[in-house]
Amino acid sequence: MAPYLIRRLAGFAATLLAVSAVVFFVMNLLPGDPALVILGIDSTEDARAALRAQLGLDDPPLLRYAAWVRGALGGDFGQSYMFKVPVADLIRERLAMTLTLAVAAMALTVALALAAGVYAAASHGRAGDWAVMAASQVGIAIPAFWLSILLVILFAVVLRWLPPGGFPGWDDPAGAARALILPATALAVVQAAVLARVTRSAVLEVMGQDFVRTATAQGLPRRRILWRHVLPNALVPIVTIVGLQFANLVTGTIVIENVFYLPGLGRLVFQGIANRDLPLVQALVLLFAVAVVTVNLIVDLAYLWIDPRLKGRVG
Amino acid sequence: MLAVAGLSVAFPAGTAVRGVSFTLAAGERLGIAGESGSGKSLLALSILGMAPPAARVQGSIRLGGAEVVGAGEPALRALRGRVAAMVFQEPLSALNPLIRIGEAIAEPLRLRRGLTARAARDRAVALLGEVGLPDPAAKARQYPHELSGGQRQRALIALALAQDPQLLIADEPTTALDAAVAARILGLLAELSARRGMALVLISHDLGAIARVTGRLLVMYGGDVVEDGPTAAVLADPRHPYTRGLIAARPRLDAARPPGTPLPAIPGAVPPLPALSAGCRFADRCALARPGCAVPPPPVAVAPGRVAACWAVAP
Amino acid sequence: MKRRPVNLIFGAALVALVTGAALLSLVWTPHDPVALNVANRFAPASATHWLGTDQLGRDVASMLMAGARTSVAVAFVAVVLGALAGVVLGLTAAALGGLVDDAIMRLADFGFAFPALLFAIMLAAVFGPSLTNAVIAIAFVNVPTFARVARAAAHQVWTRGYVLAARAAGRGRLAITLDHVIPNIAAPVIVQATIEFAIGILAEAALSYLGLGVQPPVPSWGRMLAEAQTLLFLAPHLAIWPGLCIMAAVMGFNLLGDGLRDAADPRLARAR
Repeated sequence: MAPYLIRRLAGFAATLLAVSAVVFFVMNLLPGDPALVILGIDSTEDARAALRAQLGLDDPPLLRYAAWVRGALGGDFGQSYMFKVPVADLIRERLAMTLTLAVAAMALTVALALAAGVYAAASHGRAGDWAVMAASQVGIAIPAFWLSILLVILFAVVLRWLPPGGFPGWDDPAGAARALILPATALAVVQAAVLARVTRSAVLEVMGQDFVRTATAQGLPRRRILWRHVLPNALVPIVTIVGLQFANLVTGTIVIENVFYLPGLGRLVFQGIANRDLPLVQALVLLFAVAVVTVNLIVDLAYLWIDPRLKGRVG
Repeated sequence: MLAVAGLSVAFPAGTAVRGVSFTLAAGERLGIAGESGSGKSLLALSILGMAPPAARVQGSIRLGGAEVVGAGEPALRALRGRVAAMVFQEPLSALNPLIRIGEAIAEPLRLRRGLTARAARDRAVALLGEVGLPDPAAKARQYPHELSGGQRQRALIALALAQDPQLLIADEPTTALDAAVAARILGLLAELSARRGMALVLISHDLGAIARVTGRLLVMYGGDVVEDGPTAAVLADPRHPYTRGLIAARPRLDAARPPGTPLPAIPGAVPPLPALSAGCRFADRCALARPGCAVPPPPVAVAPGRVAACWAVAP
Repeated sequence: MKRRPVNLIFGAALVALVTGAALLSLVWTPHDPVALNVANRFAPASATHWLGTDQLGRDVASMLMAGARTSVAVAFVAVVLGALAGVVLGLTAAALGGLVDDAIMRLADFGFAFPALLFAIMLAAVFGPSLTNAVIAIAFVNVPTFARVARAAAHQVWTRGYVLAARAAGRGRLAITLDHVIPNIAAPVIVQATIEFAIGILAEAALSYLGLGVQPPVPSWGRMLAEAQTLLFLAPHLAIWPGLCIMAAVMGFNLLGDGLRDAADPRLARAR
């Protein structure tokens, strides 16, 4: 158990290092001159050279990478070219928005998918099963941003129940919640379509196992058997897909924040791209990739928690 | 307490149980013998109303005063575990791998007997002690994969006993165990039945096991009961050619068989469902077959309390 | 079980519709999809303009046909590039095994840390947003998937009796890969390619919607949606058609992939 954890954590650290290297070296292939971006084309060559020296841009790439990693470990991602403030401050301001959206969407995804998937499996071969499968086929094919637009047309334009976009700030909790309903729903419906299929086939497989017969022979209610005996045994493939979907969710929040004009990290990254704000984009891409890798680690550890038999096998 | 009359279980592919009738008094111990495919497990599942959904069940099964055939899910649940409980063949797969032994036994006690969590836990430990597990309190905290095969089967029996059923159906309970452990489990079943006044149906292809535990024997072939009578009498003086074949095919240590000669075997195997004949189903493998066997033989009394279904044994 | 051929037929029909429209748009569209006619903007559907015109008077039906061309072309190039690179890596991993195998598969694991959009964002930040960058980003994220599929399939082939016999007879790894492995992994790779095609179309639409893909004036479903979104209160119908097209194309390739998979391996069909 402990050696497994140590090995797994070492692998995690190595992956993070590799991710940071890819992000840094891809971003620093930049053919343009950051000093030019910051100072504008009217600046003198001397001023630009001075700034390059000040930013350390003339140092060898490996040295600059080392400096960047050292800073990042301490929470210092350098100065944004565009906003002229530390990147870390920009991220801190907007993290709550994106994190809330992602967590709300993931929770909604799991709730929707488990309900639909278990229901479909329980009514295997009947109309309910067929309806869930057909709906999920449609859900998989809908782009989240188009679904968002449809939701806006229905709930904001036609019914006028919810705002079409924007964010009133956290000081207005009710308004903030209302602003997040449509974005979280749009993200969740699309993801839940995939997860519901996985849930259905995993549950169907477990339903054929002997211990389900034992539970039935005890006279336990069918609902109890499904949720207490079948579903936990079907969780390993479900959790695997949830982990993979988190990557989609991370990029999904980037898209959806732009659809709904939400001031989160996804909007920030586009402002960074538009202004060629390297330190900002670099830090954000790293942050998103780290989130994906971290969730994968959590998924691997969740397996051990789900299935006590695995604890004996890893080592 | 159990009366089966004219029970047939049919699949689209053919009839797997055909016109089976027998009764079982409270506290009686009945063995059901036969090869795989004889319909004995399906018969057992039908008693709890657990035949597969594709099966069409006809006839009558009266269990503890209630009719099972055609009963709805709530009525069946009232019977399962309480009036009749079941122990399955493969104890590892018949226990939910993610639930601790104690919790598995406590669950029906809480849900069905209304015990408090604490009382259910204590009762579970007591039951584990009753089935002869050493250190039951520690075993209750373990997962199925942490027990040995014999211990798992004892735990499964404890689970079946949880709701104090009047009838325990054990379907090949010792097939997955080695001989010494199997003998102890059989002894336990006989002892529990005697001590609790609980009727027992032991389903097995092993005549030795049935001889040790039961007072009455039902021999099945191809979905038919071919012979029915007191276990000792049937084994000592089998009337049906199939019963004779089964007894001859038993490996015995005391047999006066010259070394090197193979065990006598019944030629062939039970044919698949669609291939079963409309007449006597044993006819294609029977040395005594004659043209009249194309008509199903009726059960005939061959001795006091004994019945056989064969044209060749008419008294 | 009875639904299996339905998947295949329905999927193939949608795919034929989308690719047919894309190919047709090369030689003919009802109107010039990029011709502006501000005098005739927001025209309703009519015999001349089947689905009406947009805020700049462009013919919506023609734009959708041209958009199909963009989608299919981007997805096709990205899938072919990704599949080539991925299959070569997967075959190498299976043929050489050992450390090379480990290294390639580690690389593939690591590739999953970069979803297409993140990679496209990096490229856009460095080189500016463009169609080429979108294609590269989508192709890049296909590589690990294809590498895994190809390796898993090739691995099975390598353990078969006739391959062991060929090795014993002194055939080299490259020759065995060409003679035995490639023909036997074609089916799973084609199935995966169909599914990646659907993902590619979705990714192109998302990137173009965000302005990281196809640049104006080249028509694209994703960009049409981005433009329509600013006019939701004025002309909500403009946001309907491009989305339906994306959905039809994605669903078509997904169903086709499912159908092909079931046809290639009936044992798997039951579980889905």
